[in-house]
Amino acid sequence: MTVGILTRRALADLRQHLGTQFMTTVVVSLSILIFTFFSLMYFNLQRFVERFGTELGLVIFLEETTLQDRIPVLYQDLARLSGVESVRYVSPEEAFKRLETYLHEEREVLAGVDPTFLPASFELQVNRAVFNLDRIGQLAAEIGAWPEISKVQYGQEWIHRLEVFSNVVRLIVLVAGVLLLFTATFVVASTIKLTVYARQDELEILRLVGATNVFIQGPFLIEAFLQGLVGSVLAVAFVFLCYRYLGGLLVHSEVLRGVAFSFLPWSYVATIVSSSVALCVFGTTLAMRRFLRL
Amino acid sequence: MMSQEPPIIRLEGVSKRYPPDTTALSNINLDIEKGEFVFLTGQSGSGKSTLLRLLFCAQRPTEGDVCIDGVALSSLSNAQVPHLRRKIGVIFQDFKLLTSRTVFDNVALSLEVIGLKREQVEKRVKQVLEGVGLLGKMQRLPLQLSGGEQQRVAIARAVVNRPPIILADEPSGNLDRQRTDEVMVLMEELNARGATIVFATHDERLYENTHRRVLHLVNGRAEAVR
Repeated sequence: MTVGILTRRALADLRQHLGTQFMTTVVVSLSILIFTFFSLMYFNLQRFVERFGTELGLVIFLEETTLQDRIPVLYQDLARLSGVESVRYVSPEEAFKRLETYLHEEREVLAGVDPTFLPASFELQVNRAVFNLDRIGQLAAEIGAWPEISKVQYGQEWIHRLEVFSNVVRLIVLVAGVLLLFTATFVVASTIKLTVYARQDELEILRLVGATNVFIQGPFLIEAFLQGLVGSVLAVAFVFLCYRYLGGLLVHSEVLRGVAFSFLPWSYVATIVSSSVALCVFGTTLAMRRFLRL
Repeated sequence: MMSQEPPIIRLEGVSKRYPPDTTALSNINLDIEKGEFVFLTGQSGSGKSTLLRLLFCAQRPTEGDVCIDGVALSSLSNAQVPHLRRKIGVIFQDFKLLTSRTVFDNVALSLEVIGLKREQVEKRVKQVLEGVGLLGKMQRLPLQLSGGEQQRVAIARAVVNRPPIILADEPSGNLDRQRTDEVMVLMEELNARGATIVFATHDERLYENTHRRVLHLVNGRAEAVR
């Protein structure tokens, strides 16, 4: 028996049962669509958390007692640290000016305040390729242990909140993924079972003329393969188009300016498509089990 | 004269019961020689169809064993059953044709399952359809044919892969007298070419003047009429 005969029969079956095949493909496509959409959201959120953490850089506050001649030495020490891209000294006066700018119309509240009351600080930008969030934390702890340093900030609270949010999203994606996997398997298996029921006479005749299980099941598996492939490719393509369209809108958004959205990596897309194919083939195998006995 | 060859079909103490307490066949012992034409008769529900279903392994006996061409069916795994079925052509009263496929495709099915090439399939199917007088209607769908023609398609499908055994389960049950005679002529021809035929029917007219062996089933028990 050749794959050619099975494929020819599968294509003939596809033509004959176009309505049912279309329905199964739509079910597969919708399931994969929801999963891909959540995955895309999670993937971008994860990237955002990573980038947000590193783009914030570190702010290193100096002790009030730090002598002025120690500033260049500290500057050099910081600049020499591996992975540090830039170091900027912010004097108490400059910090005061920034505060005034920030307060804008309410700057009167600073009237009579000593312009040197804010601590001097260094602002550090690190190489994003080298530093992940954990390494930034380690670097902050290392610098914080120096004697002249009073405090090191790198937006820990924001990052922590984002990380918690990101973890929640990850959990939702995982749970939704598992639920969708079960739902899709069940729906696909049920749809295929209905198809098989509708074609019971045909299966009986095939058994009658001595068809092996491979001959009977082969076209169904090829159909399932195509349904999984077409369904998932359509779903991923739809999400991709939405991503392109929304990406275009967000470029002009004030709130999300500078935030770069990206599509799922191709390896991830390949995993989604192959999982969808495996899901349909598995669902078909499950659905046909009882029809292949004697 | 006794044949030297072992029987092509042998049933040894075969019983078939369905839960909870229906006995379809009870202790059937039967030998059918190669090339024989046997009528299997009896009222509806006497066990004719059950016996045929045991022969092509659609069901397994509750007791006893069935041997086809020297092979005990109890020794066959489910995976080996299709290979046994290729030795047996089965014809039904309700034809069991694929109504969405052409006459050609229906007959070709028996050859496709054994993996014959397209050209060989085409040649053999045309030969057989010519034999049953349907070559000119091979592109028609079964429902575009008369009952007699549909039954001839079913016969063509059953014999196209040249099986040594043909089982016919009331093949003339849905046909008028003239069509029934046509079917009988075809069956006689197949038998003359060497096929062993088990012909189940409750139509006495078909076997009352025959020299063939007639096996009568009554409530699942066999009585040889002659």
